[in-house]
Order: sequence, then structure tokens, then C-alpha cells
Amino acid sequence: MISGLLRRPAAASVLSLIGVLAFYVLIGGVDLGTLFSAASWVNYAARIGIVALPVGLLMISGEIDISIGAMIPAGAMTTAIISGHYELPIIFGILGALGIGVIVGTINGVLAVRTNVPTLIITLATLVGMQGVILAGSKLLTGSASVPLTTPDWAKGVFGQLMFNGSHQVLIVWWVIFAVIFWFILHQSRFGNWIFAIGGDKVSARNAGIPVDRMTILMFIGTATAASFVGMCHAMQFNSAQVSGGMNDIFNIIVSVVVGGVLLTGGFGSIPGVFVGTLTFAIVNKGIDFTAIDRNWSNLIIGVMLLVAVAMNESFRKLALSAVSGKAGSSTQNAPRGATTGQSAQ
Amino acid sequence: MKLTKVLAMTAAVAMSATFAVAQDGGPNIFVIGGKPDDPFWSRVKLGAEHAGLVAEMHGGSVTWLGPQNYDNLGPDAAELIRQAIDQGADAIVGPDWVPEAMDPAFEAVVAAGIPLVIYNAGGIDAADRLGAMNYVGAVDYKSGEAAGVYLAEAGHTNGACVNTLPGAANIEAFCNGFNDGMAAAGGTGSVLQLPATAFGDSTAVAQAVRAHLLQNPEITAMFAIGDQDTNATISGIQQAGKTGSVHVCGMNFNDSILANIQAGTQACAIDQQGYQQGFFATSILINHVQYGTTIPTREILTGPGIVDASNVELVIAGVQDGAR
Amino acid sequence: MTTQTQTRGSALLLGKLARRPETGSLIGFVVVFAFFAALGGPVFMGAPGWSSWLNIAAEVGIIALPVGLLMISGEFDISVGSVVPASSMITAMLAGHYDLPALVAICAGLGTGLLIGLVNGLLVTRTTIPSLIVTIGVMFVVMGLTLGFAVLIKGSTSVSYVPDPTTKFLLGQFINNMFNVAILWWLGFAVVFFYVLHISPLGNWIFALGGDPESARNAGIPTAKVTIGLFMASGFCAAFVGVAQVMTYQQAQVAGGQAFIFNSIMCVVIGGVLLTGGAGSILGILLGTLTFAVVNQGVFFAALDPNVGSIIAGALLLAAVLSNDTFRALALSAAAEKG
Repeated sequence: MISGLLRRPAAASVLSLIGVLAFYVLIGGVDLGTLFSAASWVNYAARIGIVALPVGLLMISGEIDISIGAMIPAGAMTTAIISGHYELPIIFGILGALGIGVIVGTINGVLAVRTNVPTLIITLATLVGMQGVILAGSKLLTGSASVPLTTPDWAKGVFGQLMFNGSHQVLIVWWVIFAVIFWFILHQSRFGNWIFAIGGDKVSARNAGIPVDRMTILMFIGTATAASFVGMCHAMQFNSAQVSGGMNDIFNIIVSVVVGGVLLTGGFGSIPGVFVGTLTFAIVNKGIDFTAIDRNWSNLIIGVMLLVAVAMNESFRKLALSAVSGKAGSSTQNAPRGATTGQSAQ
Repeated sequence: MKLTKVLAMTAAVAMSATFAVAQDGGPNIFVIGGKPDDPFWSRVKLGAEHAGLVAEMHGGSVTWLGPQNYDNLGPDAAELIRQAIDQGADAIVGPDWVPEAMDPAFEAVVAAGIPLVIYNAGGIDAADRLGAMNYVGAVDYKSGEAAGVYLAEAGHTNGACVNTLPGAANIEAFCNGFNDGMAAAGGTGSVLQLPATAFGDSTAVAQAVRAHLLQNPEITAMFAIGDQDTNATISGIQQAGKTGSVHVCGMNFNDSILANIQAGTQACAIDQQGYQQGFFATSILINHVQYGTTIPTREILTGPGIVDASNVELVIAGVQDGAR
Repeated sequence: MTTQTQTRGSALLLGKLARRPETGSLIGFVVVFAFFAALGGPVFMGAPGWSSWLNIAAEVGIIALPVGLLMISGEFDISVGSVVPASSMITAMLAGHYDLPALVAICAGLGTGLLIGLVNGLLVTRTTIPSLIVTIGVMFVVMGLTLGFAVLIKGSTSVSYVPDPTTKFLLGQFINNMFNVAILWWLGFAVVFFYVLHISPLGNWIFALGGDPESARNAGIPTAKVTIGLFMASGFCAAFVGVAQVMTYQQAQVAGGQAFIFNSIMCVVIGGVLLTGGAGSILGILLGTLTFAVVNQGVFFAALDPNVGSIIAGALLLAAVLSNDTFRALALSAAAEKG
């Protein structure tokens, strides 16, 4: 049974999580009780987690989206400008933020489907473009690069408040809800099979009758809208929105997804893995604050843990593949390329 | 696998070298500040850590909490403030960069009965509003204003503020202050805004400054924030061939900036005395937690001080220590 | 009769030119330059304008060259963003803080880049982790080490250093007070990389790696060595930029350099390098770099909001890649016709 568990894609990410906790407790002197009662890393996990879920789906299908870095502040600024600066009812702010996600996602998706341009470049272009749009728009419309916002109670309660009189944000509940939804899509519905198939071999998938184009566009809409949703919630939670480049978010989200066991080349991964990968990264990032280790070394710890976690993932995946297929573990390409032969896993 | 083990062991060895035990007996102060690789904030951190020697003497500690980057300044800082509460802080030092985002977190600190000192941003107004004990620091707006007034009064009346981090509330305050200071002394101010992708790239800043000066020859004064941007601005002015006709004031300084002032390529540097901010804010709380003392002078201004050719020699010695 | 053959001959030549991938990059450059020349007027067209964007082009260009080669061979290098400040800090620290001779400090800085490249290369070839992830991890590690040691040794995050006249002349001066000497170094690097990619057998190996690494290995190409060598080259070039920056601006900072990551990728892609590996050229990369620099700097001369520059850069990136796509399709179809 243990070997069966080990072969699941999420197994490596769970082990990474345990390893990270062990490191912080043994070497960093972290008190687990304090760590688990603290909300900061869970809030942070929810923030990147909500975006990591659809990004994970997208990466399993063989594509990537880095424009999310600019979409998070885009959602925040849209809500703040519409409902804060122009003082329109908050419902318009919400629709605006989601709308801009849908628009940019559609652009990404259509470009991905209609041209041969790799999605890394398409989304790099939309990232750079959106960075400019947000800042130019903000300066043009409001004259400043940060905008305050007051939210009516009902909206704040649903999207942007702290729960249990404590420090946990309601965003965490949204994260769990989305995780369940995406788990259902990927692992229980036929859409999931389609996504794995597209990630395995796009041409065969299309030949098999899977609506590859429509699925791709939908997934890009998913990532962009999830990002702008997170931005919107943050704006409501913190009563303000700020222009930013969002570069760090990009790396953090990709790292969470990869630590969660998703293959960069597509065709392999799981939602539980992405969920646990996000938790692991959040603890890596925030856990150092709970130790006496000098903050100056925090990036070093993040980098080393990333490399170790991914190396573990690779070893476990090879084990899983060799056991599942029964053949000698085939070596898959490392660099992101067009169609590769991956293996679909449950 | 072997490589993995090597990586893990290297990390462990490296970490144990810097490992120190967190104490339980004395005051545990949590200081929220900027990111560790920010040159200004590394001085603030040093000040807090030096004050922390006293805390350690009592069996306590000083913990520094800073965001990874400035992309999401207010929310990230608010989260860190709440994290400090969760980590069991005896007292908290924090900057009120973005009041809308951070005030609720500060209010939670006071509601939990934790002594609070506001520093670096917000002014005595923030301290009064939030129920903090003191305010320690310079006010960003006033620092920019000092630079604007200094340059305009020296006769350089058309100024531009170089903003390489659009969106960050503190930088916006600097530039607003600069422009208002220029206006108050009879000049005009403007902002040279760079895209977010130029942050940290000296060449991009230098070339942008140079292009801007060539296209706008009426500019005679510039204000840059941070040592890197100031040096890049000076280089840009040099490349535009305008050394001597365009005068620069910079926010904060290090030994290269002081060398500039000595050599005459820079007019002035505004000193927030970041070291003092960290040192005093932390010390006030250490002594309060340990002995119950207070400082009735609630507003303690550490700046703006102006460093120019007249006092640069005195300042140089302090820079060697990383304190100024 | 002869006139007909002549016209047909020159039409064929034009057709051949049109199908080269670099033509797309060249057209892009001309269009962008004309656009900003129209907006920026005489100042942009004069020497100050040229030197302005050439200075930018030189810095990102030196990094874009090996990054382009890596992408042709199918790999990414995200760590360049952290190598630049790391090497500049080491150089400035050894020469400025410890007062060692400039040559020793420079060698140490360049050596750092080589070492980081070696680590990247080993991790990519010895494990199955994709290079995108390896280099992100190494980037974090280097960032952490740079900051940690800087504060440990110097107590601050910046080091200043005034280079001696010879070093400044070679690495950090502005010719005519306008053109950074880095431009000459960039051209020098371009010549070297041109030779490597287009004349030496190493170039064929790189293209083969990008096309299909399995077949390349089976054909006897030392793929591991080539990959490691390419990563060391990108580390070296990033370190060179860091060292040059210290000599030019007389100080080193821990933060900074992140912009080079995506900027260099943009230059390379605008220059026609295929992300999936296997196609590209040095000339294309050079043109892509020039185009990127013109857009970046042109906005300041054109009195446009610099954020409009970001929007233009994004649109340009897409346009460039789309047109490269079309040109490549044309080229492939032309080749198929002949065959």
C-alpha cells in the first residue's frame, strides 16, 4: 500500500512539506504550535494557491501563463479605481476585476490557439503590456499609483475580511472551495482526461475529437480571472490597491506548482499535489520569520529547498512511471518544447 | 539522489552557522521594516539589531520582519504585523506606509495590549490615531520637501523627481514633497517616472535621465531616491553633458554619495538617519517592556538632515561603520 | 531575354532575403526606429540619441547573446538576474573593501559567473529537473548568498569602489562622454559568438541539441559538455556586465539585475530565436536587442509616458514573434518546394 501511495504524483510534495517542517523545527528551532496558530503563511498560501490551481491545470495541458503577475494588481486596481476612485457600487468593481481577467485570458488563449507562438512568449508580452496598462491607466485616471477603497460590509464579508476574530482571511475559504472544484474538474470529470491528453500529445488529442482550442482558451481565462479575483479580494481586504510589477508572484506560483509535482512539459500532475506544493512554498517563505535565522539568508533557504524538493519530485516520479507502465522508466525531455510524449496519471 | 543529499547537507551546515537561540525571558521585540537588501533599510535593521544587544542582555530578542519585495507594500506589511502578534511579540515597531491597509493591523496590536511604536512613515498623526506610544523618524514628505526647498533656494528652480518604483507609497510621498517644496520656494517640480522593469538597473535609469534632460533642457534640478538611483542620475547628467548645470540631491547616502558631494557632482543628500530610527524605536520598547519607562516627547524626529559640502567630512567617518 | 532573366534573378534574391528570419527582425527595427524618430525629432536622431539606446543595448545585449544560444539549444537561464549583482559585489568588495589589485577582483567576479554557470550546467545535465526550475532555484540561492555575505562582511548592502584609470578606461568609460565602452565589448562578444554559432562545428551541435537532444546524443555529440559550456558562458557574460557596471557607476548593490532576466529573453525572441529550440541566429539576436533598446529609450525622447513604452514593448514582442512565425513558415515552405 505504501508503494502505491508513493507512486501518486502528490506523494513527493507531501514529503517535501514534511522535510521543510522538519528542517525548520530541527535546525531553525521553530515551535510548531506557534507556527500552526499563525495565519500569515496560510493567508499567503491562499493568495498564491488560488492562482496556482488553474496554472497547474494549464501546465498539465502543456502551456504556461506568466501574465498572472500583472493580473493580480490589475484586478486590485480595477476594483479600487471603479469603486474607490469613481465611487461606483462595489458590484461594478467586482465585475470589472473579473471582466478584465476574462478579457486578458481570452487574448492569451486566442493567441495561443491561433498562432504557433509559444505561450511563454505570448504571456510575457501580455505581462509587459499589462504592466504598462495598469500604471498608465492608474496615473491617467487617478493621478497616483495607489488607490484607497472602502468596501460595504456585505462585500467585505464575502471577499475580504478576517475570520474568527483572528488573523485568518476569508480568502482561505475561497482557496479551499476552488481546490475542491478544480479537483473535481481534473480528477473526476472528462475535462480532466482531456487536459491530460492535451498535455500528453496535442495532435492525437485533437484527432481524438477533444476540443483542444476551446479547452485552451477556457484554461487561460481561468488563470487570468483567478489572478484578478485574488487581486480584487486583497483590495477589499486591505482597503487599498497598488500598482506593481508582480514579478515575484510569477516565480512563487510556478515554484509552488512544480514543487507540487506538475511536470513543466505537461501531461503529469495533480490538484492535491498543487495544493500541498503551495502550502510547502508558503511555509518555506514565511517560516524563516519564526526562526532566529537572519532574514538576510531567506532567499538562500528558498532556493535550496526548491531544488531539493524538485529533485525529490523527479526521483519519485520516475519510480511512479516505471512502476505504472511496467517498462523501463523512459527519460522525458527536460526543456519546454512542443509536443512531447508524457504519461497521464490519475 | 546523492546530489540532493549534498544540497540538503550544505544548507544545514550553512544554517547552523548563523543559528541563534530565541530567548524566552526578556523582551521580545518585533520590528517590521523594508526588505533586507534595501540599502536604507539595512541600516535601519542594523540600528534595531544594535539595540537588540540590550534585549539579549535581558534574555530577550529583536526579530526583523520584512517583505520579500515592494510589489504589495501595504498588505504585506499588514500581514507581517499580524504575524508578529501571532508570534508572541512583547512589543512591536512598525511603519505606517499605507494607512488604509495597515491601520486595522496596528489597531489589532493595540487591542491586544501590545505596546506599539510607529516609525519611518505616518508621522505623529499616525501614532496619535493608532494609540502608539511614540513616533520615531522622518516624514517622507518632509524629506522630499527639504530637498526641493534646498535646490530651489540655491537657484535651481526647475526640478524633476526620479521615481523608479511607481506605486510604492513612500516613494510617491518623497516626490510629492519634492515638487511641493520646489513650488513653495518659487520653482516648479515634475516627476520622471520609470517603468517597473527599470528598477535596480543603473543603466536604464542613467539613460532615461539623460534622455529626459536632453528633451527638457529647462530642468536644472533633480531628486533621486536611494544611493543606486542617485549615482545613476549623476551618470546620466554627466552623459548629457550637463554636470554643473543640473544639480542633484539624493535621498539617503553611502560612501560613494559622500564622495560625490566632496567632489561637487552632487549638491546634497537628505539624511533620514535610518540607523537612529531603528535604534531608538527599538530601544524605547525594550526599556518599556523591561522597566516600564516611557519617553514623553512623543514625536522624535530623526530627520530630515541635510548633508552637503559644508558638513560632509564629519559624516564620512560614520559611513565606514555602516551606520550612516 | 536577358532582362527577363535579370529581373527574375533579382526577384529570386529578394525572395530569398525575405525568407531569412533576420529580415523580420530588421523590418521590426526599422519600423520602431522610424516611429520614435518621428516622435523624438532631431535630438533622438543625433549622437545623444544613438548613444542613449546603444548603451542600453550593449548591456542587455552581452547577456542576450549566450541566453540566445541557450534557448537555441533548448534551455533557459533565469539566474542571470542574480549573477549580475553577485559578481559586481564580489569585484567591488575585493577591490574596494579589501584593496586587492583590480585584476584580481575582476577575475574573481568573472570567476563567480563561471562557477554559477557550472552549477547550473551540472544540475541541468545530471538531474531531470527542467532548466527553467533549476535556474530559478539557483537564482534564489545566489540572491541569498549575495545579501547574506554582503551584510556579514561589509555590514551594508552596497560597496563603493573607484577604479584606477586603466581599468576605468577599459571597462567603465564613456567615449566622447556619450558612448559607453561596453558597446565595443558587446560587438566583440557578438563576433566571438557568431564564430561559435555559425562557423565552428560547435554551432551545429547547439542547433542539433535544440532540435532533438536524443538524436544529438546518439550522433555522438557531447551534449552534456555543450550544455554546461553554454551555461558557463551565460554566467560569464552576466558577470562581465556586473563588473562593467561597477567600473562605470563606481558602486555595487545587492539588489538589482532582475530586469535582465525577461529583458534578455525579449531581445532574443524579438530576434527570431525559437523558444522550442533549434533555430535562430546571432544577427537576429543583435537586431532584436537593438529593437528592444530603441523602444525602451525612445519613449523618453518622445515625451510619451514610459508606461506606454511597456505597452509598446509588449505589442512589439507579439508582432515580432508573429512575423517571425510567418517568415519561418515561408522559409520552410520554400525549402520544401526545392526539395
